[in-house]
Amino acid sequence: MKKRIAMLLCAAMAVSLFTGCSSGGDSAKPKEDTAGSGDSEEQTAEAEEISIWHDGDEAIMEVIESQVNEKLSGDGVTVKFEKKSGLTDQIKLYGNDGESGPDMYMYAHDSLGTFVEMGVLSPLSDIAGEEVYADMLPMTQEAGLYKGEQYLLPVYFETLLFMYNKDLWEGEVPSTTEELYTYMEAHTDAAAGTYALVNQHSTAYNVSPFINGFGGYIIDEDASPGLADEKTKEAIEYNKKFAALQADGDYNTVTTLFNEGKAAAIIGGPWLVPGIRDAGIDLGIKSLSDFTLPGGESLAPYSGIQGIGVMKHAAEEKKDAAAKVLAALAAPEVGVALAEKASCAPANQKAYDEESVSGDEMIAAMKRTAETAEPMPNIPEMSVMWGPAESLLAAVNKSGEDLDAAAEKYQAEAETAIADMQ
Amino acid sequence: MPALAVVGVIVVFPILYTGYISLTNMNLYHWDNYELIGLDNFQRALLKVDSGFLKALLTTILWTVFNMVIQVILAFFIALGLNVREMKLARVYKTLLMFPWAMPAYVSILLWRVGMFNTEFGFLNKVLQALGLGKMNFLSENVPAFFSCMVLNLWMALPFMIMMMDGALQSVDRSYYESAKLDGAGFWKQCLYITVPAIRPILLPSVIMTTFTTFKQFDIVYLLTMQKGSLSGATLQTIITYAHQNAFVSNNYGLSSAVSIVIFGFIIVFSLFTNRGVKEEA
Repeated sequence: MKKRIAMLLCAAMAVSLFTGCSSGGDSAKPKEDTAGSGDSEEQTAEAEEISIWHDGDEAIMEVIESQVNEKLSGDGVTVKFEKKSGLTDQIKLYGNDGESGPDMYMYAHDSLGTFVEMGVLSPLSDIAGEEVYADMLPMTQEAGLYKGEQYLLPVYFETLLFMYNKDLWEGEVPSTTEELYTYMEAHTDAAAGTYALVNQHSTAYNVSPFINGFGGYIIDEDASPGLADEKTKEAIEYNKKFAALQADGDYNTVTTLFNEGKAAAIIGGPWLVPGIRDAGIDLGIKSLSDFTLPGGESLAPYSGIQGIGVMKHAAEEKKDAAAKVLAALAAPEVGVALAEKASCAPANQKAYDEESVSGDEMIAAMKRTAETAEPMPNIPEMSVMWGPAESLLAAVNKSGEDLDAAAEKYQAEAETAIADMQ
Repeated sequence: MPALAVVGVIVVFPILYTGYISLTNMNLYHWDNYELIGLDNFQRALLKVDSGFLKALLTTILWTVFNMVIQVILAFFIALGLNVREMKLARVYKTLLMFPWAMPAYVSILLWRVGMFNTEFGFLNKVLQALGLGKMNFLSENVPAFFSCMVLNLWMALPFMIMMMDGALQSVDRSYYESAKLDGAGFWKQCLYITVPAIRPILLPSVIMTTFTTFKQFDIVYLLTMQKGSLSGATLQTIITYAHQNAFVSNNYGLSSAVSIVIFGFIIVFSLFTNRGVKEEA
């Protein structure tokens, strides 16, 4: 009897193991019909569906999806956005899988190099002409360029901004970092827990305005790390004196300080805005490009560009449909809708002709920042740089380690990490 | 037999597969077209396991010893306290004491990070400030971070130990104490000659088990100090965080597999030694 039960249990386990595998495939099959096209059911069923995987805000994707489907109505093509958390890993698994993988993906551009090297992406030139990205802001277009080929169609971009609480900030916001520092010294009381300006001073993304502004770099085009570069070190040293007046620098700490009115300003991205609005703060925004460093250069933050890339199998099997989707995505109307409904800064320059877009304080500030901002490096080696760069910043800002020694140490760590990729 | 087959598939297959991958050059640049390259990855893996590993091993041993000694002693006295016969509400205390153990580790660790150790909102810093002392960043340097992690580990692990001690204490025959009292033995003598020898065999399995979980502790150190995007500044490494950091090198699955096999080989050898030590002790 016991033996029989054991056999049964084993069989059940084995069966469940295998059904586990297959159900993943079934559920991902893009055969459901889509909403939003407004066509009759019969037509939708016949329409070719392009599935786009993303890992972003679903409200933003809905705006894009409905705009694109509206544009495509009558073309026999629909798009469907599907949220996949941990998108990088999902694409590693399904990128080359025409059956259960996506046809396109939408994600921040910094993972582009990784996907291209894995051989899952097709250059846009295989599907459409240059005109699809002709209207895009140069910085956003550059972000989608890898080894001389355009792989991503930029849709919108994000960058850091100087955000301040209008009720707390006294007088004009300065336009040099030195004046800003003087203001911070006068208005920060760490013992009382009130701050003039907070920033995630030990994460590389948030220190990038200083590093790039000083002419330093985290990694260059040839994939050599720049943590021990003199200019990078100069920037880190300069950032350190700000860090001393900026609390712990942890994401939760700095956002809570700002939202609770204990910090008068914060350096952060548009993703903070919903929380700030919920906290009832009267928000003022200034572009980081409007601050000059002692050497006369402007702060130059990194920018993350959300772009759409086409998987290799889709470029071969669904070329026409993919081309139509790209053309629809590139239309300025998509940018306008994104700006109006989701406060995103569109990549398409023509969208800014619309008063509702260029008149938005935050979007205008981001567009201005786009002039000095640098797209995050999109080479695969960048993915291993965040760790050493953050460790270096934490060692200098939080543990009080010597800058030169720490820079050497983490430069070596970064070099090992890059060598380990091969 | 069929059970053995299923266990084989579940347990052995992943290990064999890791072994297979470690012999290939599967990485970003050879995603679909990887091939067998022999033992190259192991050669590189052995070079990677450097002095950092020894340092991590030392930290782990210190961590285990400190935690276990304090845990056993504290739990012993708390359990004794709970077993005082005249005590009212003993059940309420026991339930309250179980709380930290019942909470999901992830939640309690993050709660401690923000609620206790945070420089702005943490309870500990509020206390320091109320006492007129300055703020302290508990997690920015290795030594304070080590003790902060330890306090949290004790908070999380003590309830289990107390529960085990409590159960063991209740099994001791009360008549021993009565006759000891008649012979004039005080509290410490009673503890040393009656309680400890009586509960030792019952407790040993749970102490050994806890020693192992303490030894391979990962989440406290990782979540408190080295979470990506919010490094606290401390560079504390235990063996497991070291393995995590070195084994999961970016997208190079061949090398990663080789490093993890090497490191886990070391860990297995080491735990065999400790295991034997513990057995002899028993």
